[in-house]
Amino acid sequence: MSADSTDDFESEFQPATDTQPTPDAVLEAEDLSVSYGKVQALRGLDLTVREGEIVSLIGPNGAGKTTFANTASGFLPYDGSVRYRDQEVSSVGQTALVEQGMIHCTEKRDLFGYMDVEDNLELGGYLQDDAVIEERKEFVYDLFPRLDERREQNARSMSGGEQQMLAIGRALMGDPDLLILDEPTLGLAPVILKDIAEAFDPIQEQGVTIMLTEQNVTFALKHADRIYLLENGDVVREGTPGELKGDDYIRESYLGG
Amino acid sequence: MVLDTILSATFISALYAVIAIGFTLIFGVGGILNFAHGGFITLGAFSAYIASGYFGLPIFVGLLAGTLVGAAVGGATYMGVIRYVRTRPVTILILTFVIGFFMMYFVRVFGREILKIDPLNIPVDPVIGSSSFGNDVFIFATSWLLIGALFYFVNYTRTGRAIIAVSMSDKGASLVGIDSERINLITWVLAGAFAGYAGVLLAGSLGGGSWLMSIEPPAPLVLSFAIVILGGLGSIKGSVVGAYIIGFFETFTVTFAPGGSQLAGISSLVLLLVFLLVKPEGLFGREAAE
Repeated sequence: MSADSTDDFESEFQPATDTQPTPDAVLEAEDLSVSYGKVQALRGLDLTVREGEIVSLIGPNGAGKTTFANTASGFLPYDGSVRYRDQEVSSVGQTALVEQGMIHCTEKRDLFGYMDVEDNLELGGYLQDDAVIEERKEFVYDLFPRLDERREQNARSMSGGEQQMLAIGRALMGDPDLLILDEPTLGLAPVILKDIAEAFDPIQEQGVTIMLTEQNVTFALKHADRIYLLENGDVVREGTPGELKGDDYIRESYLGG
Repeated sequence: MVLDTILSATFISALYAVIAIGFTLIFGVGGILNFAHGGFITLGAFSAYIASGYFGLPIFVGLLAGTLVGAAVGGATYMGVIRYVRTRPVTILILTFVIGFFMMYFVRVFGREILKIDPLNIPVDPVIGSSSFGNDVFIFATSWLLIGALFYFVNYTRTGRAIIAVSMSDKGASLVGIDSERINLITWVLAGAFAGYAGVLLAGSLGGGSWLMSIEPPAPLVLSFAIVILGGLGSIKGSVVGAYIIGFFETFTVTFAPGGSQLAGISSLVLLLVFLLVKPEGLFGREAAE
């Protein structure tokens, strides 16, 4: 499965190509590398997320999807470049990225477990005005009626699917411009997947760009506008769902032939 | 007799609550057992001594000085040391111990040179003359006032909610745009201020203090630890309840047990042991800072 392990050395030592980012790129990674000690998790990866798109990163466990999500939102040091709205992520800083609308909904959800739904959502709007908080809360409750029914329930006592809705809801409270959803479907029942997928349209209608990492390739193919396949820390395929469905390698390795 | 004992237990418990609250805050937010807490208390008392005992300023200036110095050393401890080792609990444990001892030795060295006589004589008596009753009432009232204010701050202000958020999930807090570094600093400053204030009150009500005051009866450092375990680590409510349980248990032991006066420091440890065995999560479980 070790696809074309292209010459890492060459790509490492290539001078960063001085291409101006296209104006509508929301997130752009160029020759991005990240290491955990001696383990290299991202190896000179390039990808672009454009305004209004749903872009999905797919790939097996350990391919680097979550590492990319964490790097893009300012949690990890890196080599190369990753830019949010033309600013280098490392120079903006994690908290300021949130302020500027890059909201990350992590794989582990990282909810405030001993707080109820309402409090979790309100903290999601920590950087927003009270009026915005009220307005966003209504939007989230409309989007996920299950949360509306559980306003007073502690996050930790909810089911995995409900927690995932809450995590997405909390992220939406921050008035995102770019929403990073890391493995939102992991371990969830099909009926919940449907609820979550149905939220994508209204979210997009608000002008939110979505970057979605997914192990569930079928889900990604169904809902993304463009897809990057990651293996061993680099992009090995990219294209629209239509293009990738016709790709032999994807069919054989990810769609069961 | 019993009524007297209840009254004096009520007063002493209020003091214990102030003593423990800073320890609770830091544990609640950062999961850190801050053994420099005793050092903060000692430095608070020492500052009040410098202001009031040495320079002869009114005791309220001393109280303010103790509080401010406590806040400053709390903040400095976080900024200078703790934030660099936040993810290494054992290192933090050792470091806070060492820092606490440094603070105590600082008071030992300078306290000796400036003052050959050790006790900090701080009569806190705004209410009734210079009787110790005035002192007690003052401590009782400000204890409830300050802890009430803290409770309100933590639960009903945006920064306070952020403190609770960090206490529950550091990562989650970062995800919503809370600067957890800033929140931790605020917590350490607050905890230091409470410890400094408590140090002045304690020295004031004992009629003095020394460089060893954090480990001599009533051993505020040990008390804080016991109170916070009883109440449930990190719970403000729990700490107050824990302080009253220990305060009452101790006062009644000292008053009514045969040879009770010798047991002053140890009774809180007995309760600590019992709780660790029977209800290790404490009375208010892990409700974080609420």
